[in-house]
Amino acid sequence: MLLEFRDVDTYYGDLHVLKQVNYAIREGEIVSLLGGNASGKSTTMKTIMGVVRPTRGQVLFDGQPIGTLPTAERVRRGIAPVLEARRLFPRMTVFENLEMGAYLRKRGPAFQQDLDRVFTLFPRVQERRNQIAGTLSGGEQQMVAIGRALMARPRLLCMDEPSMGLSPIFVEQVFDIIQAINRQGTTIFMVEQNANMALSIAHRAYVLQTGQVVLSGTADELRRTPMIREAYLGEMAIPVGCQEKLLT
Amino acid sequence: MTNFDLLLQQTINGLSLGAMYALLALGFTLVYGILELINFSHFNVFMVGSFVGLWTLQMFGLSGQDVILTGLPLAGVLLAAFAVTMLASGALGVAIERLCLRPLRDVKGPAAMITTIGVSTILFNVILLSVGADSKNYPNPLPTVRFQLAGAVLDLRVILIWIVALLLMAGLWLFVQRSRLGKAMRATAQDPEAARMMGVNVDRVIVIAFFAGSALAGAGGLIFGLYYNYTSFLIGFTTGLRAFTAAVLGGIGSVPGAMAGGVIIGLVEAMGGQFIATAWTDVIIFSILVLVLVFRPTGLFGRLAPVKS
Amino acid sequence: MSPAGLVSALARRLAWISLARRRQGLTGLVLVAALLFPLVHANDADIDSMANAAAYATLALGLNIVVGFAGLLDLGYAAFFAIGAYTYGILSSYQLMPPWGAFWEPLQTLGLVARMAGESGSGDVVHFTLSFWLALPLSAAVAALFGVLFGAPTLRLKGDYLAIVTLGFGEIVPIVVRNWSSLTNGAAGLNGVAPPRIDGYSFGVSATPYYYVAVAMVALLIFVSVRLRDSRIGRAWMAIREDEIAAAAMGINLRRYKLLAFAMGAAFGGMTGTFYVAKLQTATPEMFGFPVSVMILVMVVFGGVGSVWGVVLGAFVLQLLQSWWLQDLTLWLHALGRLVDSGWLQRVDLVPSIELIFGLILVGMMLFRRQGLIQAVRPAAALTFEQQHAELRRGGLGDLRLHGLEGPGRTGAVALDVRGVTVRFGGLVALNSVDLVVPDGGVVAVIGPNGSGKSTLFNVITGLVHAGEGRIALYGGDITGLPPYHVLARGIARTFQNLRLFPNLSVIDNVLVGQHARLKTGPIAAILRPPRTRAEEKTAHAWAMEIIAIFGNRLLPRIDQMVDGLSYANRRRVEIARALASNPRVLLLDEPTAGMNPAETLELAEQIKSLNGLGLTVLLIEHKLDVVTTLADTVYVLDHGDVIAVGKPHDVRRNEAVIRAYLGRRASQAADDLAGDVHVA
Repeated sequence: MLLEFRDVDTYYGDLHVLKQVNYAIREGEIVSLLGGNASGKSTTMKTIMGVVRPTRGQVLFDGQPIGTLPTAERVRRGIAPVLEARRLFPRMTVFENLEMGAYLRKRGPAFQQDLDRVFTLFPRVQERRNQIAGTLSGGEQQMVAIGRALMARPRLLCMDEPSMGLSPIFVEQVFDIIQAINRQGTTIFMVEQNANMALSIAHRAYVLQTGQVVLSGTADELRRTPMIREAYLGEMAIPVGCQEKLLT
Repeated sequence: MTNFDLLLQQTINGLSLGAMYALLALGFTLVYGILELINFSHFNVFMVGSFVGLWTLQMFGLSGQDVILTGLPLAGVLLAAFAVTMLASGALGVAIERLCLRPLRDVKGPAAMITTIGVSTILFNVILLSVGADSKNYPNPLPTVRFQLAGAVLDLRVILIWIVALLLMAGLWLFVQRSRLGKAMRATAQDPEAARMMGVNVDRVIVIAFFAGSALAGAGGLIFGLYYNYTSFLIGFTTGLRAFTAAVLGGIGSVPGAMAGGVIIGLVEAMGGQFIATAWTDVIIFSILVLVLVFRPTGLFGRLAPVKS
Repeated sequence: MSPAGLVSALARRLAWISLARRRQGLTGLVLVAALLFPLVHANDADIDSMANAAAYATLALGLNIVVGFAGLLDLGYAAFFAIGAYTYGILSSYQLMPPWGAFWEPLQTLGLVARMAGESGSGDVVHFTLSFWLALPLSAAVAALFGVLFGAPTLRLKGDYLAIVTLGFGEIVPIVVRNWSSLTNGAAGLNGVAPPRIDGYSFGVSATPYYYVAVAMVALLIFVSVRLRDSRIGRAWMAIREDEIAAAAMGINLRRYKLLAFAMGAAFGGMTGTFYVAKLQTATPEMFGFPVSVMILVMVVFGGVGSVWGVVLGAFVLQLLQSWWLQDLTLWLHALGRLVDSGWLQRVDLVPSIELIFGLILVGMMLFRRQGLIQAVRPAAALTFEQQHAELRRGGLGDLRLHGLEGPGRTGAVALDVRGVTVRFGGLVALNSVDLVVPDGGVVAVIGPNGSGKSTLFNVITGLVHAGEGRIALYGGDITGLPPYHVLARGIARTFQNLRLFPNLSVIDNVLVGQHARLKTGPIAAILRPPRTRAEEKTAHAWAMEIIAIFGNRLLPRIDQMVDGLSYANRRRVEIARALASNPRVLLLDEPTAGMNPAETLELAEQIKSLNGLGLTVLLIEHKLDVVTTLADTVYVLDHGDVIAVGKPHDVRRNEAVIRAYLGRRASQAADDLAGDVHVA
């Protein structure tokens, strides 16, 4: 088990944003976290990266508790984020952004290897390596953002809404690349609002609704259940206690 | 002197002043770019720096125009003076950040800025109470060498100032553009949370920004003393105003902006002093500040707008 | 009885007296002590120091209005001090002496000027002899004018930059004074300023009459400050300080109230300037520089930003520190030095280090006690967890009637008509030619995935954001492009997705701000409090309580508590109450049930339904579709700025385009599987 959440509760003040949440992500998987607005998806991401601390429960990476570790330490251990809306450093070049992804690493052959890998995956990025990041289109920025995360040579790639704000063509491309990266050995945990796209490449998925996991299972199972539509379109559709856990 | 000669002379003066203002503005903008904090104490760190420079030079036995050095001894003394001044000022800046500003990092509103006003007052009065209100003469170890440039005079001092300022600015530029820490600083200025997610130690970056900015302020203080041949507890305020205007004019948070702004304000001061009257220079500079903030808050190069969206 | 027993018996006796009476008693005591002081302690130097302290107290009170009440950081406040001083100085000293002419005769009759023989045989000249008592209101007015002038460029600047611009003006004034010698006698200073006169008696050298004038000024300005603070004006200022955007959305004209704060604060400063220069009979530019502005700021921060009595106390303590205690402390240190044989201690002089001490106090207060000596906001005791989550009891609308509405029922008119509205942010199209109609008395819901433009729609209707194209009409009247406070005045109130309450105000004060646009009390009425104003406040209070009562004992027991300490759900309720307090015709609710559990959600949905039953038109952004189904007649679905579906809740839920918008596009079998039993559109 690469990443685990065990009975995690998170509060913002007195607002209960994550309620007894459990995730289990195995190495090599693509796992997607689905849900509508205000479901707790971004809080999950922030908890993994260390921006938010859980009030109760445990977060484990590779069997080790990481809940109290600072962000830099988590990155060092092998978790890299692809942030919501890219959040590249707008006035730095593409190449400098990639460098920042490898901030904690030494320059050397491994760095060069990863750079080449990123350029191979994203030829567009190589073309534009000296361009100022803020001038790229949304889709190109997403490529750079993924590349930046890959430069950390992570074991777990945490992606926050990779399809947001992208045109349909780019969305297809991005998801193809995510699959490719996964085949090369990186585990992917992906928060996505676009359930269709996510389930087309994920192995398993969890569905969040107002901070609770209401559905979980393989992509196949989730694709077939009508409950998922209810979960998205109707926040109150699934009453507490009636969670459908189809398969762990 | 003909009008053209005057113009040329004042351009030379203006560029020298501009170099000093640019250094001050740069240091100020470095901190602002990351913390969006107006650090009032910056300009009195400049003033303290000029006194540290004075005392360092005096330690070498220099005073007034009695001792003239050339060649290697001159270079050595100046190097030592700059090194000591910049280190001391940098350390002072770091101390201010750790003791007074870090505890307020998460407090919203003007609390941090008001604290810098307090720190500024403390520095100002500590110097005033220790050295007194009269201005102190700065030793001038440089030989009096003058060059004729058309109808204007170019002093060796001025050339020295230009060289030092250019070196420091180039050094800062290289650091910020090429070094790992420098890039971390730029990244933090552009998106602190994303930078943290890359593993950047934001606290350390802030300390470095304060160190670098304050060191530049200290260098500026030493340059002030060498240029004007005096220093006093008051120079922080008068020079600070001009440097602050330079930073805002160039675009707050922008490194090239600070440099450009510094030069422009230097020229404005020199020309204003010559062709209008020195008394009104302050009013002119303040007016520029107010006009920029009201009509073009982003300044010439800036991106951080001081306006509410 | 033991001493402890005596004390507790006394305490029990005193506890009988209510808090208000206790405060009145304390005020009376202070006043009596102030009046008796010169009689009891006849040292002229000490009385002089107290008079100075009182003058600084009025300066602190003035700055407190700008910084403490309205939240505008003014670093150049000493400029108004200077303006007041020089106004009186110039008009009562020998500085200006224009030649005599017929023009001056009526002024001579009024006692404003005197005729004097000119120097060495040249013609007669005018000597301004403006009476001190006339100068007080005149300087206040002149300073207020400059307050508006200096404040106007700062209105849209962020807090830090506002401070810098005011600092700039604060420095320009002494420089102008120093250089305009013909008017002000420049750096040499203005001398020969006439002391005040009453009935021919000139104030002269003794400090005592000045002391009483100063005490009167402080008392007056405390009175004015307190009256303003507890009025509609004070609430508006504090709303601006806490959250400008919410303040504007609740009907407060930001420009007018900010300028009013500047003017008020400046007026206090101007008056003090006149007093100070009359006492010293001289004025120099050095008296009004940045260090003076900082000193006044330190007094305000030290005493307590926003607290009227706090800043007075702060000013007195710091001023007396400077004039009394530092000297004594120095002498004591000398004695200590002799005792321990320390040369340094015997020579140290603390008096010149007063500014250093001020700097240390400023830094110290900011780090350790930002609220100052006397905290402006007194938090009511925090409630226990049980009290906060108590069951709803006796809530509901009861006899509530919503003012400004014709009563229940739909008139068939169109309440809100949004036509072809497009909003662009840079290159991004947030709303694309959106049409939306809300019928009078109806409930319309807007739903859509993240980033679809729902909040932008609210923002453009309420004037927070500009529409590039299109038109918005309220009951037929065009409201496109109106500023937020105007939109509120026309009858649209809103809540915010991320809650924008005024954190340091109580529940009742938050709700009362909602009434701002419906009340009429201006600053003068706020100070004088004529019967009309008192009646208005009473009605406003009663109305606010009625609205709060809708939420029963969720909010009623907490009306004096700061909203910061309330539960999330209660804060949402306060925001809705605040919006209702403005007597809107149309209520815009942005995710009102976010963060509420199912029971609370149901409760609120019922309350909204009842309000609608009274005739209130509602436009609602919601994610919880059962809420939408219960409440809404019509649902609009937004996606990426476009309206992709309109209809009844049940139909919209089954609409293929809607499902695709929420679940994401992909041309494949997967999409069809997910869509389930879809009707072909």
